[in-house]
Amino acid sequence: MEDSNQVLQTEDLSIGFKGKKKESSIIFDKISVSAGKAELVALFGPNGIGKSTLLRSLVKLQSPLSGKIFLFNVNLRNYSRTRLARKLGYVSTETVHINNLRVHDLVSLGRYPYTGWMGRLGKDDIDKVNDAINMVSIEHLQGKFIHQLSDGERQRAMIARTLAQDTSIIVLDEPTAFLDLPNKYEVVHLLQKLARKSGKTIIFSTHDLHIAIQEAAKIWLMLEGQIIQGSPEDLILGGSFSKMFENTNLKFNEAMGEFRIRRKPGMTIGLTGGQAECKWTRNALERIGYRVTAQGIHEIMITVENDRGKRVWEVIRRGDKMQFNSIYNLCSFLEGFRDSTG
Amino acid sequence: MQNTSPRYSITVLLFIALSAILAAVFAGGLFTGTVKIPVADILRILSGGEASKPEWGIIIRELRLPRVLTALFAGMGLSVSGLLMQTVFRNPLAGPYVLGISAGASLGVAVVVMGFSFAGASALSLPGSWAMVIAAWTGSGLVLLLILLVSFRVRDIMTILILGIMFGSATSALVSVMQYFSTETILKSFMIWTMGSMGGVTSSQLKIMIPAVMAGLALSLASIKLLNAMLLGENYARSLGMNVTLARVMVFFSTSLLAGTITAFCGPIAFVGIAVPHLARMLFRNADHAVLMPATILTGGIVMLGSDIIAQLPGLDSSLPINSVTALLGIPVVIWIVIRNQKLTGIF
Repeated sequence: MEDSNQVLQTEDLSIGFKGKKKESSIIFDKISVSAGKAELVALFGPNGIGKSTLLRSLVKLQSPLSGKIFLFNVNLRNYSRTRLARKLGYVSTETVHINNLRVHDLVSLGRYPYTGWMGRLGKDDIDKVNDAINMVSIEHLQGKFIHQLSDGERQRAMIARTLAQDTSIIVLDEPTAFLDLPNKYEVVHLLQKLARKSGKTIIFSTHDLHIAIQEAAKIWLMLEGQIIQGSPEDLILGGSFSKMFENTNLKFNEAMGEFRIRRKPGMTIGLTGGQAECKWTRNALERIGYRVTAQGIHEIMITVENDRGKRVWEVIRRGDKMQFNSIYNLCSFLEGFRDSTG
Repeated sequence: MQNTSPRYSITVLLFIALSAILAAVFAGGLFTGTVKIPVADILRILSGGEASKPEWGIIIRELRLPRVLTALFAGMGLSVSGLLMQTVFRNPLAGPYVLGISAGASLGVAVVVMGFSFAGASALSLPGSWAMVIAAWTGSGLVLLLILLVSFRVRDIMTILILGIMFGSATSALVSVMQYFSTETILKSFMIWTMGSMGGVTSSQLKIMIPAVMAGLALSLASIKLLNAMLLGENYARSLGMNVTLARVMVFFSTSLLAGTITAFCGPIAFVGIAVPHLARMLFRNADHAVLMPATILTGGIVMLGSDIIAQLPGLDSSLPINSVTALLGIPVVIWIVIRNQKLTGIF
């Protein structure tokens, strides 16, 4: 297990809560994962499996039931709070609601482990705070109150606070949870840039698999009873994501890198046309319960014509020919048709 | 920091203005009272000279100066302890008494008042006496001990808040039982204590009260960094390397020292502790305790001295109970907080 390149490592870790009378409830055990320098690690897994508990254990907000956590090959237990605060920053799921707190002051709180007992910022501290603000590009917001920020802006400010803390590792619990789609991408991309440019190890939990696959260097995948780690691509090719929802209605499409609802296969329709047209027509047809294929002859055959942006869907059914100018109309017809035949 | 400099000068201006107002109300407190004394005489008395009438000298030195100093330190101390509690519990309606400190003090006072009457002594001489002060101090000290024991074992700060409120309610219930079995005279001397008073503190008592309040204020000023970290909640504070237990002990101890002492000498003064920190926030629009703490100290002094002046309204033979004045001034502020917080999800 000795690997000097690893910044953070766990060894046979069990997490959970210590109960009374030696009875403790284990949430997850046998966790052996690692994260390297300049790596963005995404922690992925179903709700309630223990992602937050794992992250809280990594930042020492909760002690492991058994097993070890190593930070730079030193057991986490041997770090004092102050020393740990200079190595490891944390952003929790809690949204901070404080009126009258300006962004610059929030980021300045990150200097806490370095300032004296009065908390006064020196020149070096102020430089670090300003650097942190620049790194997440919120210079224009630094005089604003945090309750005036949008969710995305506030998340950036919280990230800037951990950057000002000047740690080698940053752990974030669902940093994209409340964000809209562009902000989700931007925040994760920002984390990826920070990891690569400043050599930090950044670990974050998320439910946005798509984004994690694009940006993360490594994924820790928590499945029922085991945790698997590897680059997202290795996990996809190794079939790990398919395992994740084996007993659910979801199916992982390895070619597309996304989940789909598993549907009962219905009547088969033949479909030909341009790539984009076929993809989205297929999407709609599968939604209303058809199986779609490009091969063979079937009772219903659909061809999509694209004449300089003007698309026509031509349906041939037992010699009858019909034309539709939108997928919506096509679907209405097919739904009615299916109803009439029972 | 270029865009923070106008903010900096506004802060400095506000501090200068508040200091000037504080000096003015302090002087105003000396000038108002049921006996009219010319300004020139007051100045002569304060500079060590003799007034035209010798009794004026006694009134100023023995009555008004102690009263004004009591109001000043009571206002500063209660407001700061309110600020401490609001930050630690992250609750805008927390005040100096959420930990049950005034309830503990009143239990102590009730025990002494009842004890005196059973021993056959007159309970009417009690308000303001050393016995009452020590009883109140002991009562609030015991509550503090209980809270500290709990806070070593309980991790969640909200649990501590609820336990504090429960301790307080239980203590008040005990006091009610004792009141039920006591005579009218005893009841009256207890009731007078609960109304609060700035005038009952003698200059020899001030020699204890002022250093105790100053120690509490010094401890609070030393907690500024801890309080700033606690703004984000205890989890974030921990992740920044703060020792949460030490911080709680420091804050709870200074709160008890401040609120316990002031309650012992002046009775439970209502609303100042809850309302003043919000006034300071409203004025300075800053969450940094390095600004908020001195702002709260100054505003607290002004509000308490102002309330005391109002309580001495001219045309009355005796002064109004100080608690009625602080309640009438404080309640609009509390209502304003509640209404404003309906829309804002923010804590402070």
